Amino acid sequence: MNNFLEIKNLSIAFPGNHLVNTLSNFNLKLDKNGSLGIVGESGSGKTLSMLALTRLLPKQAIVSSGSIDFLNHNLSEIDNLNFYKNFSGNKISMIFQEPMTALNPVYTIGRQLMHTYMYHNKVGKKEAHHKSLEMLSAVKLSDNLERMKQYPHQLSGGQRQRVMIAMALINNPSLLIADEPTTALDVTVQKEIINLIQELKEKFGMALIFISHDLGVVSQVSKNIIVMKRGEIIETGKTYNVLNKPKKLYTKTLISCLKNLNTKRKKNKFKKNDKIIEVTNLSKFYKLPSKLFSTKKIINAVNDINFSVYEGETLSIIGESGSGKSTVAKMLNGLLAPDRGEILICNKDINKLDTKERAEIIQPVFQDPYSTLNPNHTIGYIIARPLILNKPFLPDEIRNLVLKTLDLVGLDKGFYYRFPNQLSGGQRQRVAIARAIILEPKILICDEPTSSLDVTIQEQILQLLKDLKQKLGITIILISHDISVVKYLSERVLVMLDGKIVESGDTISTLQNPKKEYTKKLMSAVYEI
Amino acid sequence: MLRFIAGRLIVVIAVAITLSFITFFLLNYAIDPAQAVAGEEALFEEIEQVRIQYGFDRPILERYFEWASGVMRGNFGESYYWNKSVYLLVLERAPETITLALMSVSVTIIIAIPLGIVAALNPNTIIDRFALGIAVAAQAVPNFWLGLLMIILFALTFPIFPVSGDKTYFHFVLPSIVLGASSVPPVMRLMRTGLLDVVDSDYIRTARSNGFYGWNLTINHSMRNAVLPVVSVLAVQLGHKFGGSVITESVFAINGLGRLALESILGTDIPTVQILVFIFAFMFLIFNLFADILNAYLDPRLRK
Repeated sequence: MNNFLEIKNLSIAFPGNHLVNTLSNFNLKLDKNGSLGIVGESGSGKTLSMLALTRLLPKQAIVSSGSIDFLNHNLSEIDNLNFYKNFSGNKISMIFQEPMTALNPVYTIGRQLMHTYMYHNKVGKKEAHHKSLEMLSAVKLSDNLERMKQYPHQLSGGQRQRVMIAMALINNPSLLIADEPTTALDVTVQKEIINLIQELKEKFGMALIFISHDLGVVSQVSKNIIVMKRGEIIETGKTYNVLNKPKKLYTKTLISCLKNLNTKRKKNKFKKNDKIIEVTNLSKFYKLPSKLFSTKKIINAVNDINFSVYEGETLSIIGESGSGKSTVAKMLNGLLAPDRGEILICNKDINKLDTKERAEIIQPVFQDPYSTLNPNHTIGYIIARPLILNKPFLPDEIRNLVLKTLDLVGLDKGFYYRFPNQLSGGQRQRVAIARAIILEPKILICDEPTSSLDVTIQEQILQLLKDLKQKLGITIILISHDISVVKYLSERVLVMLDGKIVESGDTISTLQNPKKEYTKKLMSAVYEI
Repeated sequence: MLRFIAGRLIVVIAVAITLSFITFFLLNYAIDPAQAVAGEEALFEEIEQVRIQYGFDRPILERYFEWASGVMRGNFGESYYWNKSVYLLVLERAPETITLALMSVSVTIIIAIPLGIVAALNPNTIIDRFALGIAVAAQAVPNFWLGLLMIILFALTFPIFPVSGDKTYFHFVLPSIVLGASSVPPVMRLMRTGLLDVVDSDYIRTARSNGFYGWNLTINHSMRNAVLPVVSVLAVQLGHKFGGSVITESVFAINGLGRLALESILGTDIPTVQILVFIFAFMFLIFNLFADILNAYLDPRLRK
């Protein structure tokens, strides 16, 4: 037992019809001051293994085998009470993915920090207050005294994650486990938080386990890496070796997915085509509901923007949350009326188009394939629905068209009678795309079409969109925050910030040689292998 | 926070004015006030005389303003049935109802909150089922029946408490249990689901990852969030106790506002009925205001 942390043959099962190990034979070794990344897709068991270590497993979970040695203690011999008092939050700390919900909304930042400190160290309020202020400085938050009195909802996502880190480190733990700490954050904020975690790791001299689905991020922060799939460790070793000389097929595909996304694109040949969309002076305001004593607040979600889209090209709109990119998408779909300016689609004002007419020209694909398909209908019906509404076809013709479209998006005939809950995320997104293209629209508006999918699935869906574009000549407008997706799919790009277009141009040249400060910042925050 | 309270207060006043308007108009249109004063067997001429004598021939709006300005100055008018100032009548009867309402809500809190917490901390176990069972039973049993049962059991068979009356606090124990029991189910259920939601939340996972467990976790990290919906429903229940104690007051012979309302309705005493309806409704408003303020104090996100 010379190791700092060693997990041997850990297996976890959930009771069901047959007891299957959700995590099987998980092994891990970590030195004091070491860093380890655990990478895998959703359901790979990467989080589960760490929840077993921190004793936060769901109640139903059964640890069927394995032992954990930590700081010369055999953890399986330590009872819960002892563990809670002496290990969790004290020697082992954890930060989580969702900074929005991981802090208690009804208590001040100060109380939450102080409580965590006073619980493990028998000290008074004054000392705890002092220590909390010190920690807030350590995570580089300004106006600390003011922050102590603030509530979580008064902070931004990045600030909350800093508070989470401050709280995790306040008892000076020997091990920090970060479970997708930046996934819910914007790229520029992500970079700041990752830099902060690395810096604090050195400063506090602790070991770090970093869980992520993002190979790029993990390769940045950890010396060693574990690649997981379906509850098993696929490959493990030094990060550099695994990434450059992967031994297992799965690791290779994972890496090639990322590398493929970074391939360079040819020149934009669509610029000579007709303009299919023309947007002039487009603005959209949101009024916050007025309260008794305060005046109405108006937010310029989209502020006087102009752009056009050429027939057949793929135009990306990138920006962080709140930049107005989704509002633009909604207006292009006709789901939201502009307050000022106009959108011409095929030389017709979109708001004067009949909804059926509009549906035949422009169709949306949304982000979350889990909530955009009605669970009560069969796949066949879901895809056929636009046809039934818009075309006077006979049932047989509709059926044939649906089957043809299923084939087009790479799904087997067998899916016709299935229900959405029988499908995986990737399959669902294929259905959503099939539904969008069945009316043979000229334009497809994809709002973050792959951001809720795993990397390998993501690549397949992007490939599908690319194929469809070639086969059908569809114009695609892609809304995304993911630079690699944008690079892979689009010829031209618009960068949005605070409702305005900051920069636009050919994708490769714009993103590789950004001229504006914001675009530079955005690009420097992207982690590549 | 002050701005929040001021805003709510203005809303309460506006609703109260509308409320008084509606009560006054409905009652004065539903029943001829002159006939009510003169009595059922009065002759046409007598009724008309009363109408002129009491001023019921004046426009209804004028009478409303007279009544409303009186109410604001504490002058609720004269009761024709009781031959007494309505103000004194209400003042006389109010303490009984207030005592009964507060005691019965205390009974609700004492039973429902711990039951809800215990049920939430042991979901789908025998304890949980037992708590839910009590709640269902309390909901199913009619008030008057439970009242009679209590009298037979705890006043006659085992003479621990007095049968009826309102002389001492001891007299209020049985009626409070009866009245309080009916509010146990909604409060207990809300406490249970509220706490269950909180226990599953991300911030409780954070607290657990920091080593908090057991009662410390429940009291210091979960209760404040879980109790928010309970506060609102308790306010409504307290309002119910004020206006809805008619039956219980009758069963236990407590001379409160509920009984006064019943008797005044039977005697078609418009001045008393209209002020009581207004007071019962106004109490709802006030309790809801308190609940809103308390919730805003507990949850900073509501203080906007």
